[in-house]
Amino acid sequence: MALDIEAATKLPPKVITVRVRRYNPETKKIWWQEYKVETHKGMTMLDVLLDIKENTDHTLAVRYSCRMGLCGSCGVNINGTPMLACQTQVSQVTSNARPVVTVEPLPNFPVVKDLMTEFSDFFNKHRSVKPYLIRKDTEEQENPKGHLKMNPEEFIDILQFSNCIFCGLCYSSCPVVAADPEYLGPQALMYTFRFINDVRDEGHKERFAIVDSEHGCHRCHFAATCSAVCPKAVDPAGAIQGLRSKLFKYRLGFFKKKSSEVLSAPPEKGERVPLPPEATTLPGVDLKQFEKEPVVIKLPKE
Amino acid sequence: MSDDEKFRSLEMENRQGFWKASLNPWLIRAKNNPERVAFVLHRVTGFIIIAFLLAHILETDSPVWSQYAPINGLSGWAAWTYIMGIESAWWARLGEWIVAGAVLFHALNGFRLLLTEFFGLGIGKPVEPKPPYEAPTLNAPQRTWLYIEFVVALVLWAFSAFLIFG
Amino acid sequence: MIEMENKASNIQIWQYITAILLIFLLGYHLLQRVPWLFNVSTFDQTLTSAFVYNQYKEAGWALLLLAWVALFHGLNGVRGMLFELHQGKTYNTIINVLFWLVFIVFAAIAALTIVKLPAY
Ligand code: SF4
Ligand code: SF4
Ligand code: FES
Repeated sequence: MALDIEAATKLPPKVITVRVRRYNPETKKIWWQEYKVETHKGMTMLDVLLDIKENTDHTLAVRYSCRMGLCGSCGVNINGTPMLACQTQVSQVTSNARPVVTVEPLPNFPVVKDLMTEFSDFFNKHRSVKPYLIRKDTEEQENPKGHLKMNPEEFIDILQFSNCIFCGLCYSSCPVVAADPEYLGPQALMYTFRFINDVRDEGHKERFAIVDSEHGCHRCHFAATCSAVCPKAVDPAGAIQGLRSKLFKYRLGFFKKKSSEVLSAPPEKGERVPLPPEATTLPGVDLKQFEKEPVVIKLPKE
Repeated sequence: MSDDEKFRSLEMENRQGFWKASLNPWLIRAKNNPERVAFVLHRVTGFIIIAFLLAHILETDSPVWSQYAPINGLSGWAAWTYIMGIESAWWARLGEWIVAGAVLFHALNGFRLLLTEFFGLGIGKPVEPKPPYEAPTLNAPQRTWLYIEFVVALVLWAFSAFLIFG
Repeated sequence: MIEMENKASNIQIWQYITAILLIFLLGYHLLQRVPWLFNVSTFDQTLTSAFVYNQYKEAGWALLLLAWVALFHGLNGVRGMLFELHQGKTYNTIINVLFWLVFIVFAAIAALTIVKLPAY
């Protein structure tokens, strides 16, 4: 979901009620629990959950790491929308008229405990599309002698997709994943497109064979919810349609892979040239003087 | 229960399932996502159309099959006229009108899907990602086509009501 | 294996080819029901047996093609949905067999309409 830039400047309701869907793997019980939390300006939903964990209920399980929208561990379903808890302001999801917010684990992922979900299927699917550069010349790839050429436009073609943080929000929102557990899912298909778009890559035939399967890219119905919830504008929906049309072109024999050549090696680094004796530092700077009286920078007191 | 089975059952617990996903466009409350509504409508209208199509093939074949199995003692084109008589009732017309709407939407939306999925047109080009992180496809021409198609389908549907009930 | 892998695309490509054909064929078929194009005044008058008999005689082949193409497109779409509903090898085979069965039966019925059409 696109960032709500204004949200952090707004004041959330003083006290909010958080309804959490909890799951205990030992007793196999699922229940809803309510907590009251006092808020402050700029509080995120992750802060709320940690506040609960710290002050009210230590048994609540939450996963997080970076708390700044970079690691992709804190995805939860807030009010029915998969979002990163750390990037969601309380003021964005509650109002004075309705100071209640529901938090659930991500749908389409098996739950480990409470809000923690199991990602191994997701990562296995990601691995299955070979998310690494494949070159015909493996020897060259292992011991590179030069660079692979890529101009800025070609870089933009893959930059957006490389921004994926593997948060799984797209996967949890997709209606096809909801029905077909074997569907590769938006993230893995988007990554296939990223490597097919990459001019340095030569493994497009292998990758096309992987996604052109029964549970591959043709399962997608372009509902675009994946793009609507993605916190990094990676746009898996667009990527999958691009992948499909390229796959059709490939099957019908019109596909031409853009491929970059290996550039020659950069010139060897020579010996470091020592400063000539007459070279000085900036005018007015006397190094010897500094050695005698070091400059002390005073920091303001806390 | 083996570990694997346990894992599977737990997994299915949190999966929303085929029916909910195909019938409820607001299963995931994502903002800025009319494509999902179009997806659900495309499915539902497709279902209506295939049900109608099977019935329609039998119905248009009535001058032939009624020669072997007459209805009400009527066969050939007389049977056709008899069936058309039944279908001029208000409930049959209502059904026809619903099918007409389904066909119109399915055709127009299908045209958009043909352009985006098959020809790869109208979807967003990769851009340098910047806050507030809006996915380019959600602002690409396909979105305009989607709105146009909703409006055109509604207008033509109203016109078909005029034809069928008028 | 390779064969199987190609299949997913092939099915989908046929879905799009039939879609393109349907735009034209169905457009034509819908226009057949617009009364003013044929100098009659109501929708019902385009459904009288004389009127329909003439249309069968004029463009029966187009209507037959439409029936086949639409059947394939529709049943194929339903097949895709059924594959999504449940997964499994036996299940897939059953669905595939059912798909061809229903397709052939209804395609044959549609063909009979044109071939054995009784005189008006
Ligand atoms: S594509 Fe977007 S939503 Fe999906 S895992 Fe990557 S960052 Fe998350
Ligand atoms: S565009 Fe495709 S992958 Fe994305 S949510 Fe829709 S069906 Fe799933
Ligand atoms: S904690 Fe890292 S993305 Fe939210």
